[in-house]
Amino acid sequence: MGTLAGAQQILAGLKEAGIDLVASVPDINMLQLINLLYEDKGIAHVPVGREEEGIGVCAGAHLGGKRAAMLMQNGGLLNSCNGLTTTALQFGIPVLLMIYYAGDIGDNAFHMVGLVSEPVLQGLGIKYIVMRDPAKVKQDIAGAMILANSSKRPVALLLTRAVL
Amino acid sequence: MKRFECLQAIAPLINNELFVTTAGGATAEWNAVRPSDGNIQVKTLGLCSSIGLGLALALPNRKVFVFDGDGALWMNLGSLATVGLHQPKNLVHICWDNKQYESSGGEPTAATAGNLDFAGIARNAGIKSSRTVTTVDELKEAVSQALDNEGPHFICASIEAGRAEVPPLRYDELENKYRFIRYVEETEGINILRVPPPASYLLK
Repeated sequence: MGTLAGAQQILAGLKEAGIDLVASVPDINMLQLINLLYEDKGIAHVPVGREEEGIGVCAGAHLGGKRAAMLMQNGGLLNSCNGLTTTALQFGIPVLLMIYYAGDIGDNAFHMVGLVSEPVLQGLGIKYIVMRDPAKVKQDIAGAMILANSSKRPVALLLTRAVL
Repeated sequence: MKRFECLQAIAPLINNELFVTTAGGATAEWNAVRPSDGNIQVKTLGLCSSIGLGLALALPNRKVFVFDGDGALWMNLGSLATVGLHQPKNLVHICWDNKQYESSGGEPTAATAGNLDFAGIARNAGIKSSRTVTTVDELKEAVSQALDNEGPHFICASIEAGRAEVPPLRYDELENKYRFIRYVEETEGINILRVPPPASYLLK
């Protein structure tokens, strides 16, 4: 479910990077972060039913001037591939993808999803960072958002349990 | 009723509202009837309702129209529940229901059998202002109501199949996006596209 300190650091990083809307589908490892998003008044939190919806919500929010992030598990990354391709990439929409890395080394669930996640991001042409160092959380979020805005593309952060 | 005559009938009711239009025939027809930088095309089948929701949440004081289709809405039926959850007061979601995948060759959709009540689903998902219209006059009245009252609104327009002979879109998705964002910036008085200064500039 993650730690409160980890979730607080990620939320602070999102705010410093200018994120003001987060769409989400939950994962148990991001429970603390999602709970903070429900309480936070500074970031609009938009729970959605399926991750591809969230890509649409983030794209629409960008068209209306928001800086948007999509919070999901990597299974949701797989659910979002067409929206990422034919909306976010094809229209050139910056979206920060905050993806829990299920099936990563040391994670005992969804090993197949873990196996294909990085190749899928590579196939989509989406740059990503695997976040393993709690000391670099804010730096990674800020850097990903700078690249998303300058390249007008989605950029992904794969969150491991070490940073949550 | 035909979709094109519906679009012609509602265009005079429209001022500077924003339009998110589905990957289907409604997009070219609407851009022929009402050319505007306030129209954004959608390329992902089913995603127009979600993009419209995000836009409506970002600009809560601006009416946002979504033009959906029965095949597209079937693909993202869950988006009605998401709209019902978030209750965007400024969203007007119209589904042009011709009961087929017209742009894919006319194959049947879930609506073809006549058992599917999109407006009923929308209402029971929490979109209280939901109705089905079958005549142009009913549609005009529903759109007027949606313009004058807080939503979210859902209108299922039951139409005949058939596309009008209209020119193709003038802009590809990138030019469409830039023009749309510039239009939002100008009409809302906000800055969306920020071009970062080069690092060499920052060093001085």
